[in-house]
Amino acid sequence: MATVADALRTTIIWRGFRVWQRNRDAMIRGWKVEFGGMIVEPFVILAALGFGLGAYVGDIGDLTYAEYIAPGFIAGYAMFHSTLDSTYGAYLRMESHHVYEAMLFTPIHPADIVVGEVMWGATRAMFSGAVVLAVASAFGLVNSPLAILAIPCAYLIGLTMSSMAMILTATATTIGAMNNFYTLFVLPMFYVSGVFFPLDHLPESVRALSWVLPLTPAAALTRGLVTGNTSWFMVLWALELLAFAAVSLLVASYFMRRRLVK
Amino acid sequence: MTQPTVIKSKDLTKKYSGLLAVDSVDFSVYQGECFGVLGPNGAGKTSIMKMVCCVSPVTSGDLWVQGKNVMHDQRAVKTTLGVVSQADSLDPDLNVMQNLLAYGRFFNLPRKQASERAWAALDLFQLHDKAFQAPDKLSGGMRRRLMIGRALLHEPTILVLDEPTTGLDPQSRHLVWDRLRRLKDQGITILLTTHYMDEAAYLCDRLMVMDLGKILAEGPPEKLVREFAGEQVVEVRLPPWQRVSLVEDLQNRELDFEEVGDVVLVFGEVGRLSAAESAWEGYQVIRRPANLEDVFLRLTGRGLRD
Repeated sequence: MATVADALRTTIIWRGFRVWQRNRDAMIRGWKVEFGGMIVEPFVILAALGFGLGAYVGDIGDLTYAEYIAPGFIAGYAMFHSTLDSTYGAYLRMESHHVYEAMLFTPIHPADIVVGEVMWGATRAMFSGAVVLAVASAFGLVNSPLAILAIPCAYLIGLTMSSMAMILTATATTIGAMNNFYTLFVLPMFYVSGVFFPLDHLPESVRALSWVLPLTPAAALTRGLVTGNTSWFMVLWALELLAFAAVSLLVASYFMRRRLVK
Repeated sequence: MTQPTVIKSKDLTKKYSGLLAVDSVDFSVYQGECFGVLGPNGAGKTSIMKMVCCVSPVTSGDLWVQGKNVMHDQRAVKTTLGVVSQADSLDPDLNVMQNLLAYGRFFNLPRKQASERAWAALDLFQLHDKAFQAPDKLSGGMRRRLMIGRALLHEPTILVLDEPTTGLDPQSRHLVWDRLRRLKDQGITILLTTHYMDEAAYLCDRLMVMDLGKILAEGPPEKLVREFAGEQVVEVRLPPWQRVSLVEDLQNRELDFEEVGDVVLVFGEVGRLSAAESAWEGYQVIRRPANLEDVFLRLTGRGLRD
């Protein structure tokens, strides 16, 4: 057993875990600041959009509007919480707080930092996904036992989104550059990825584009799990997210190394 | 020197997009000594430090730490080093103890051992009462001591310090110096950059003076003082318009001198200086033993850097 543990300690996953532990400690130390918003916001949004707006929208297929958007918001929240931490959060740690600089004087390398930050972003995605899932089930919007798998699914979404966000963090010259990521990428994606409405009536080109953005497969996968309407496409979507994550992780690691080791 | 070499460079060169920061430098650091790197801003001190610590790739030449090449065996090199960087890099999101424990984890220290060593480090650096405070609440001296304590957690054989007392008040500096000497007595090798000559004189067994990426002189402090500044220094303070005649006089007497600000420094043996006393008669004069500062000014000139 000792040898397995020793072997594990030489992997990038383990060193990333060390970085993850640092973020976990920091989060626990300041949890009161963030916790309230994380709980309250899903309540407000699901109540307002699901039931308020939903009363005017009507059913989508065999789902009420609230049932339709709840899984979309699990995916959307996973995306927002992971990207926020991996953009603004990570950039502050790197540039203002010199946290990465201190890590580099230990056996931690830039790629380890990227892996750790992505693992942490995914963890945050998983928590916020779980919170939205809990709120949704409190509203009676969850009908399938498979819904519990939306939690690991949120982790996967976090892996993908944080990996992409770390490319930006590794290449940004100012914290203002993060804003573009939201106005040009994250927010538009949020509105055309099947979170609020099915993509059927979108122009063909937008629909095609939408499927090569990560949130569309993320929302569809989550909806399949939460509603129990499963299909083989879900495997494909999960693989698509994994592929996005893997490629982005490599690119982010490359740029992070170039940025930190000069 | 019979001690083994722990850091060695050969033709070590560092270029940043065209700028030559370190120019073909050879140096060695021996086990158990405190080796100082001195030089004005832009001399290449920090570049050397960064290459030793594997956070800046070597452009050409070779650099070994404990026999391991910094370009090929980085994790092994980093494990033998304890690094205190110039910039404050304490983690503001963690308290003092968590800062130490997080660092211990980066070196894969078992939790119990990390905790024991963290408390020992806090005791050594007189920070025991601050264990659960935020680093932001500490004074500059405390933060610096904590940085050093953090760098020692994995019991490195070499401690690398980049300007360890810059910005500290005299009490804090002396406390840091005292602890560094204690660590050296325990056998740890210290590589240090500084531009405080008193610090170099107090701590270093050997040092090298650098400027513009090259080594200008190297050796024990006393030897450098004898070689480059002589025995004694006469500081002559006089207005610029009177300087010309003094300078001429000194040149005629073939004395070594250097003009620094509104002072002319005259270097030499006690006997020669006494014989030349008439040259500065009537001016405001201080006569004192030569020190490292004189060496530094003689070697790197008086022009302002940055």
